[in-house]
Amino acid sequence: MSRNEPSFQGYRRADGSVGVRNHMLVLSVGGLTIPTARRIASTIKGAVIVGFPYNAGSLLGDDRATWKRAMFAMPLHPNVGGVLLIGDNPPLTAEVAAHVEKSGRPYAALTLDDCGHDAVTLTERGMRAAARLAMQISADKRVPVPLTALTLGLECGRSDPSSGLVSNPLLGRMADRMVDAGGRAIIGETVEWLGAEHLLERRAATPEVAKAIHEAVRRREETAIRNGLDLTGNNPGPTNIAAGLSSIEEKALGNIAKSGTRPIQGVLAYGEAAPKPGCWVMDAPAYASESLTGFTAAHAQLMLFTTGVGNSFVSALSPTLKVSANPETCARVGEQLDLDASRVFLGAETPEAAADRLWQRLLEVADGAATWGEILGEGDEVVARYGPAM
Amino acid sequence: MSAKPASDGIRLSPDDSVATVLRAIRKGETIVVGNTSLEAIDDIPLCHKIALVALQPGDRILKYGETIGEATAAIRPGAHVHIHNLRSLRARAR
Repeated sequence: MSRNEPSFQGYRRADGSVGVRNHMLVLSVGGLTIPTARRIASTIKGAVIVGFPYNAGSLLGDDRATWKRAMFAMPLHPNVGGVLLIGDNPPLTAEVAAHVEKSGRPYAALTLDDCGHDAVTLTERGMRAAARLAMQISADKRVPVPLTALTLGLECGRSDPSSGLVSNPLLGRMADRMVDAGGRAIIGETVEWLGAEHLLERRAATPEVAKAIHEAVRRREETAIRNGLDLTGNNPGPTNIAAGLSSIEEKALGNIAKSGTRPIQGVLAYGEAAPKPGCWVMDAPAYASESLTGFTAAHAQLMLFTTGVGNSFVSALSPTLKVSANPETCARVGEQLDLDASRVFLGAETPEAAADRLWQRLLEVADGAATWGEILGEGDEVVARYGPAM
Repeated sequence: MSAKPASDGIRLSPDDSVATVLRAIRKGETIVVGNTSLEAIDDIPLCHKIALVALQPGDRILKYGETIGEATAAIRPGAHVHIHNLRSLRARAR
């Protein structure tokens, strides 16, 4: 297919979503079964494990809502072809299973209770079930799909000033291209809007959205103050500071460049899917693992992730392309970076030319080409957690 | 391709009080930032900031044409600007 047409080769799901991968997901619904889920996944070629370490029944308030939103989203992620649910709580596992059933995804569900509370029995039954699902989904085929089906998650981690100068503006160009193609783009990391929120507010599609951005920043800032937190040393963290970032304002002004220039349609809750095309912001923690999982739960199929000094972490379910513009970093972590933008930093390549290279690479990855993070297996999903539990 | 940038530093907005250095700078070097040149009075690591103007304690420090914090000490042109002489204005108890 010509690269001039805004399309890619994806997997169409029964529920209408479109994946760029066809994962056999082993999903641990509770914390007790994560080791078994990991063992099962390790025996099935290409299987991916995601584990939720907490018991939803013990969580309170926002944590419970977040857990449920993310848990229900994972097995229906567009990049998931088949699901094995492993749980330690039969009613909860059955509730997730009923949700998966409705989507038309092939799945199986097993609990420790079904297996006499014996992890070895659960392993054996789980291996057989996962193998059968993997066989079933191996027949799924890629078909041409318009880019309108895509949601792009935009992340930065272990940033340095080259992130704000080159890499994040490069991601901004990707966000604009995705939005112009009719897709969705999301940035998160609310604390990294501090000092740059006025620029986001100016791009808000409506006054209500501007107010919601302002309020999200205010809440995050007040939480820091209430906890007596000096952000310098926390965010920017020690690695950011060593690399040259001096304040949250400086980091934020570089961070928000990832969102590009298009109108901001709204503020999403953690893990909430964007309800219509365009550029969105997610009110979410800044740490990369939690932030990426917020995008995964929002059904982003692809992630773009800039780094200043290097950051190996990627999403487990969504291919994550790593970008750096720091010449020292590009020379040091070659098997981490899917795009080396150091020549832009050195003035030897135009930002537009680098954007063309990154867009091309993004579409190749959408079609099935691997990222370094996938090859090296650096992926995980980590659901954000805020308060105490019962 | 040379690994040396075309300019030693970049000033992102005409209003900015600092530039970002595009290579590690040694104290005493004369460096070029856009149309101006100045002497570095500190060592400045890659990607760190150099003062382009004199700043007094309490002065706003601008990068991207926006405030990134305030000076906590007198800063001379050519000095390294970082957490030893710049502090955030955000998330501070009022």
